[in-house]
Amino acid sequence: MIAFRLEGWRAWAPGLESADDWQTWAQSPRVMPDDAQTQPSCAFLPPLPRRRLSRLARMTLETAWPLCGEDEQLPFVFGSRHGETSQTLTLLSDIVERQPLSPTRFGLSVHNAIAGQWSILRGQRGESSAIAGEADTFEHAVLEAALQLDAGASSALMVVAEELPPPTYAPWIADVPFSYAVALRLGKLDATMETPTGDHWQLRLDRARGDSPCALPHALNFLRALLTHETAFEHTWKTRRWNWQRTR
Amino acid sequence: MNASTHAALEQEIAQLIIDTLNLEDLQAADIPPQQPLFGEGLGLDSVDALELALALQKRYDIRIASDDRDARRHFATVASLAAFVASQQAACAH
Repeated sequence: MIAFRLEGWRAWAPGLESADDWQTWAQSPRVMPDDAQTQPSCAFLPPLPRRRLSRLARMTLETAWPLCGEDEQLPFVFGSRHGETSQTLTLLSDIVERQPLSPTRFGLSVHNAIAGQWSILRGQRGESSAIAGEADTFEHAVLEAALQLDAGASSALMVVAEELPPPTYAPWIADVPFSYAVALRLGKLDATMETPTGDHWQLRLDRARGDSPCALPHALNFLRALLTHETAFEHTWKTRRWNWQRTR
Repeated sequence: MNASTHAALEQEIAQLIIDTLNLEDLQAADIPPQQPLFGEGLGLDSVDALELALALQKRYDIRIASDDRDARRHFATVASLAAFVASQQAACAH
């Protein structure tokens, strides 16, 4: 079983930027219109360092940025089931049309590119992992971050980010209704802590009993539950039933 | 090439750099023709050079050999790029 303290969160989706936006959305979740263009400004970066950030990278940096202190080193977990589908499609289309590939696009066409950009732009020299799972990539990212806590880190940062797939991929990608990024800062649970801040959460993995999958992407449903003060819920995917509980 | 067409080409190349390399919030006027593009100047790097070479070849229908020893000199500033593009176009026209 995993137990952690939620030290902070940030999220971005088209039309949902502030905590207030998300609070309103959580009361009645809806599919946000996504023109595949709207992206976070990442205004904290000058134009030159910003130039190679894809839309997915901007979503990741915009949400993770304020969760890490200026002089802090935090283990980083990037989770995305589908990765940069729009960049991949552009590269593949160029190959089909026998056009030269963009060196920038090609150079960044690996799953850990965004984690690398985070490391460079924030001067982070610690552990970082980039993972891709199934529809429960969110829970696997939490597991990865919890392992960093278990290995000695007092806090860990994780971002789950997905981009609305280009229409070409739409028939095969059913779990990204709109682009979103959810960043969580997880802290170690410490029984001796006198004034613990943040919510305490537990995550347990059980065998699924034929339950139906969650209507929302897991990261977004977690956020919804967090903001509506729900204390227990489950996410099922195939044989895995992830049992979430807020313990304080 | 007269002075005004040359200035226009420089401006066009500065804009091409901004669009190709996705330098948001920058205007062509922010890249003076004599400012070094790489290192201490604008701050571009080798991947930008490759990206830029690709864009120049596409836009002006010129060839830039990857083993061209003069490439570093041609790519030094907007002014040197404009001179290079103009000379290549003149060579192709003959």
